[in-house]
Amino acid sequence: MKPIELERPAKRAGKWRAVAMTLREKRTKRLAYLFVLPALLFFVLLNAYPLVTVLLDSFQFKNLMNKALSGFAGLTNYKEVVQNEYFRTALKNTAVWTILSVAGEYALGLLSALALNQQIKGRTLFRAIIIIPWVVPIVIAGMTWTWMLTPDYGIINLWLVKLGLLKEPYYWLGELNTALLTVVFVNVWRSFPFYTISLLAGLQSVSRDIVEAAAIDGAGVRRRFWYIVLPQLKTVSLTIVFIHIIWTAINFDFIWVMTEGGPLYSSETLPIMIYRYAMQDYNFGNASALASMMLGFMISGFILYYFFSVRKNRR
Amino acid sequence: MKAKKRLFGLAAVLVLSTALAACGGKNNEPAASPTGNAEPAQEAVTLDFWAALDPSTDEGKTIQAKVKEFDDSHAEINVNLQVITYDVMHDKLVAAINAGDAPDLSWGLSEWFGEFNKMDALQDLTPYLDKWADKSNIYPNVLEALTVEGKTKALPNYLGIRALLYHEDILKAAGITAPPKTWDELLAMAPVIKEKTGKEAFGIAGAGVRSPQELIMYLAQNDVTLADKQADGKYKNTWQDNPDQLAKAAEVFKFYQDLLAAKAIQADAKTWGWEEEDQNFVLAQYAMVVNGPWIEGRSSENPDGMKDVKVAAPVYKNKPATFMEIAPLYVYKSENPDQAWEFASYLLGAEYQKAVNPGKNPRSDLVNDSGWGKDFMALASQGVVFPAVSLGGITKAMEDSLARAMLKNDKPEDVAKWLSQAINDSLSKTGELSGS
Repeated sequence: MKPIELERPAKRAGKWRAVAMTLREKRTKRLAYLFVLPALLFFVLLNAYPLVTVLLDSFQFKNLMNKALSGFAGLTNYKEVVQNEYFRTALKNTAVWTILSVAGEYALGLLSALALNQQIKGRTLFRAIIIIPWVVPIVIAGMTWTWMLTPDYGIINLWLVKLGLLKEPYYWLGELNTALLTVVFVNVWRSFPFYTISLLAGLQSVSRDIVEAAAIDGAGVRRRFWYIVLPQLKTVSLTIVFIHIIWTAINFDFIWVMTEGGPLYSSETLPIMIYRYAMQDYNFGNASALASMMLGFMISGFILYYFFSVRKNRR
Repeated sequence: MKAKKRLFGLAAVLVLSTALAACGGKNNEPAASPTGNAEPAQEAVTLDFWAALDPSTDEGKTIQAKVKEFDDSHAEINVNLQVITYDVMHDKLVAAINAGDAPDLSWGLSEWFGEFNKMDALQDLTPYLDKWADKSNIYPNVLEALTVEGKTKALPNYLGIRALLYHEDILKAAGITAPPKTWDELLAMAPVIKEKTGKEAFGIAGAGVRSPQELIMYLAQNDVTLADKQADGKYKNTWQDNPDQLAKAAEVFKFYQDLLAAKAIQADAKTWGWEEEDQNFVLAQYAMVVNGPWIEGRSSENPDGMKDVKVAAPVYKNKPATFMEIAPLYVYKSENPDQAWEFASYLLGAEYQKAVNPGKNPRSDLVNDSGWGKDFMALASQGVVFPAVSLGGITKAMEDSLARAMLKNDKPEDVAKWLSQAINDSLSKTGELSGS
């Protein structure tokens, strides 16, 4: 049977096409533009304008504490940022913070999703409870964890000392070698429920028939997980991982609430450094340069990923 | 059809104008009267006043009551009191000043004085002060510290002269009859106090706004200054040009490291802010601290912890010195300087100061006879203050230098060199470095 072909308008020159539009079509088009206008205005005012301003400011001397120095700065701001004593530390911390957070969140999210996908008693209750860290506001979660980790009266130190795991209370957020890792831990605790929910949804769409068929064919639990379940979670996994890479790399509030980037910049990431440039040094030239660089890093990362995935798909 | 077009056009203009209006700030023109009458002289003026008071304390409640009293008694002046903590006050003020939206008056720290003066945000109060009958009752050296090139640019809100506060009972329990006078005496007492009482001898602020205030005091006690005014009227840190100064500055960082090594301070005191320092002292968790007279206000909340607290001069190395915090009352340039002065002079008046700052007021006619007021004011002559330069970068560098000494355990000489360079870098960035 021959399929029905829908009539398609032939390609025409723009002018001819415009002439061919009915009055009704024109009116509809104008109305559509009007509906888009508020969104466009907000985009221009709240996104495009600040972004362009930041890019332009990065080439200007803009220091609220030294207004005598103004005008075109060329690449001076970029040079000052790169030469900053703590730039490399912040760059390294941003990578550590992002990679460990996202990896930890994914691992914990996957584990909990697999557990909650089993037919266990009280499954609905556990599914409801697990979302709690995600719905607690970051500032409250951060302050509560800061209290719990305090050496003087923090419950975590108290438990660790009582259990004999520590000789004396340890200042987790106050020591150079543990501050960043402690905030990473708290961030993982807070964010993994998002992965749990997303991956649980993915797991529920995995065909039971295929899993059972594999089991009948002799595939063990591990083999079924690696070769059947995990590949079917690929799309949802890539989506949440890449969303979280962006969210985590630009995260400011958790680190600021818990350590303000300290002690001695040991937990300072690039967003904290931008804030410090802008709101503590009032050097908006340097802040804009670093913000532009960070934007560049993120765009480069995603362009690389895009080309990598396109090449892979071609194979 | 035309009507529809007009309607859409109107809607678009409305959206655009609403969005643009939201971008606007407070302009510098006189506020319009509620009746639309353009005669500001006849209208009640509203003064924005930002204060870092704590509304939960007796002092905070008294301040609020006194401000209301002023408001009620002045039909032509309304005071809009906003409580903003010191932690965020500075950022908000800098942003507001740059946006041309500064309050009329605010509390502040002395560290901000140079910055605000450089930003040309402060009202010249000299003409008002010269006519003020109470001027002679304000300590002259305090007013002098708030005067730049002959112009008084701020008023003293209260004085935070630092003294050594000690829990007499803890010292007695350790068999110590008198507090230490020098750094060495303090370090020698520390193990005894720890052994006999299980408590640390001393408290410091290793981070936050108070840590530079303590550091400048210890530097002064070893005869070292942060930055000196040079012949060109600008400032410079000269430690690296003067080996003796550098060695003395290094001794200060060595003192911090010794406090930690001798367990004279709690291990986590290296990252304490002022909250932990005050709270742990008030709860008698350690024996001694160099702190301000405001601690007296904590007696009502913690009578047991505070009942044995006594006041003495701070420990020193070469020369007795303490930090004299002149907490300024900033009066900003505005359209209402007369009304702002009227309110400012009320806040500096005898009645307000007696009610709010009995033991820490800047008036020589109101010295409190109680131990606290008298003992603190006796130290005023050895008080040191920050140089009148933009201090944002400098105080941050001072805080970092303490972290380098106590967290990274860098050599004291290296820390001193680093801080010297960081101070000059900061002065250079703000255009205040001598020779730049």
